[in-house]
Amino acid sequence: MIEVHDLQKEYSEEGTSTRALRGVTFTIDRGEFISVMGPSGSGKSTLLQILSFLDRPTGGSYTFQGKSIDNMTDQELAHVRNSDMGFVFQSFNLLSRLTVYDNVEVPLLYSDTPPSERRTLVEEAVRAVGLEEKLHTEAGKLSGGQKQRVAIARALVTDPNVIFADEPTGNLDSESGLQIMEILESLHDKGRTVIVVTHETQTAEFANRIIRMKDGVVESDRGITAHRVRSNLK
Amino acid sequence: MLLRDAFKTATRSLTQGKMRSVLTMLGIVIGIASVIILMSIGQSAQDLILGQVQSIGSNLIIITPGAPSNGRFSAPASAQGIVITSLQQRDVDALSREPSIDLAVPEVRGQAEAVYGNNNATVGYTGSTADFFTISNLAKVSSGQTFTKSDVDSANHVAVIGPDLAKTLFGPNINPINKTIRLKNISFRVIGVLGKAGTGAFGVDIGNLVVVPISVAQKQLLGITYFNVIITQADANYDVNFVKSRIKFALRQNHGITDPNKDDFNIQTQADILSILGTITSILTLFLAAIASISLVVGGIGIMNIMLVSVTERTREIGLRKAVGATDNDILQQFLIESVLLTFVGGVIGILLGAGIVGLAYVVITTFFSSVGWVFAFPISAVILGLAVSGVAGIAFGIYPARKAGKKNPIDALRYE
Repeated sequence: MIEVHDLQKEYSEEGTSTRALRGVTFTIDRGEFISVMGPSGSGKSTLLQILSFLDRPTGGSYTFQGKSIDNMTDQELAHVRNSDMGFVFQSFNLLSRLTVYDNVEVPLLYSDTPPSERRTLVEEAVRAVGLEEKLHTEAGKLSGGQKQRVAIARALVTDPNVIFADEPTGNLDSESGLQIMEILESLHDKGRTVIVVTHETQTAEFANRIIRMKDGVVESDRGITAHRVRSNLK
Repeated sequence: MLLRDAFKTATRSLTQGKMRSVLTMLGIVIGIASVIILMSIGQSAQDLILGQVQSIGSNLIIITPGAPSNGRFSAPASAQGIVITSLQQRDVDALSREPSIDLAVPEVRGQAEAVYGNNNATVGYTGSTADFFTISNLAKVSSGQTFTKSDVDSANHVAVIGPDLAKTLFGPNINPINKTIRLKNISFRVIGVLGKAGTGAFGVDIGNLVVVPISVAQKQLLGITYFNVIITQADANYDVNFVKSRIKFALRQNHGITDPNKDDFNIQTQADILSILGTITSILTLFLAAIASISLVVGGIGIMNIMLVSVTERTREIGLRKAVGATDNDILQQFLIESVLLTFVGGVIGILLGAGIVGLAYVVITTFFSSVGWVFAFPISAVILGLAVSGVAGIAFGIYPARKAGKKNPIDALRYE
């Protein structure tokens, strides 16, 4: 599903250039649960941005579902982000004055979904994260854990193949963090590909594979068993 | 993104900051209201002026001394301080003989202090013949009578005065008829009071007018032998332009003019005057609207300013929308619709406010200055212009902030604190 080969990313600012990725190569199959770990500046966030089509690499190749990012226009990238990818951010990025319903509906506004079908899709997504009774509550009035669940519902609403989560538990207490990871795990159980960037070992170990980054390259790439971790979090 | 959703999103954004939206709109509201008010006042003034000219009758032809302006507007020779003596009694006689002309009425005009007892007023006076009252639609008097041909022939010191002047000089309790007033120390017996006040053709204040026999005005008040104007009334069976050519022919013959470019008289029909006045008032209205539109530009800059602030404040929202699939155009469209909505709604409110003020002004003017004869005019063109300008202002002043929003990099936008 995802193939990256010798992926490079170099930033140039005011005459100085920084190489955030220095040749990253791996493959992710459909239905995998991946954690990308690494210390600050290791390139894990840059990697996620490129994998999620928010940025383009400056070298190497990236193929998503058989299509190379090099051959796609910005509009096509936006379309793939909308239909095949879901996003969960550390700081939720909800529109705080809109209701849960309106927040979850946002990706559908940019999709081909007819307005008549939107309500059902939004309600299903909100039900999947257990917030149906908060459907018409302003997002700003929710707790951190609830906000992140809304963000997951928003990521789910277009029924994407892959969900990208950037430090999804970073702003949550451990109990809420656990709930969020369990939701992501259940999505994975239903066949979705989940890619989580985190620096927390407990969070990372929900995945069945951990890619460790260091200085812009893959330091290690190994599979693990998930259920050891849950006890750690609890 | 569907246009319907874009409108819904934009409306929601605007209603979330109601006070800010209202204050932002205010500039456009004031701008559009000013344009509407000034265009409406301009139109009212135009209708009023043209209405007065029309009221003098379409078959009137006015002859003034001096070279013709050839369609261009220029002040009459008399207004430029030039004394032209070309219009004489023999011209009136010649015109009176012309079959296509019913009436030829000479006039002289001046200003003087009218005095009765201790009361006085500065007035405009007209010296003319008995036909003056017929040709000027002033034959109806509220009391007394107008003077006759024999008063003119005998140079009788009689006067017909306007109703406002009658009030000023005599007050409510004295009947002016047969009282003596003085103009330039010459006594005139008041024999009639005109039936209507208001402003007549050429801005003459009928309410304060004094009309005396032309023989007295020429010899004793002004000391001249020529006329300031000759008003002719064309026979209804003849085309006005034909009559105009007959007048030209007669006057050229009288004045010995062979070169048509050297005419020493100017002939204007009602249509000529309407055309000139129409042009002047239209230019004036446009000029006023142009001044008012400055406030529109200021309002537009206010909108641009607030939209730029809004784009910066909502950077993370833009990042989020782009991350979940919005294209540059989707974001541009959303912000553009917001600014157009602001200006358009502002425009509609401005039009309503303008209409309200114009209506109020009409009520005030007709209540307190009823003699002015002000007409209510609310040109539909002003409404269309107001709506169009407000829409265009939304695009013109919103496009830059909207493009800025559309071009934002989603990663930078999502990181924005």
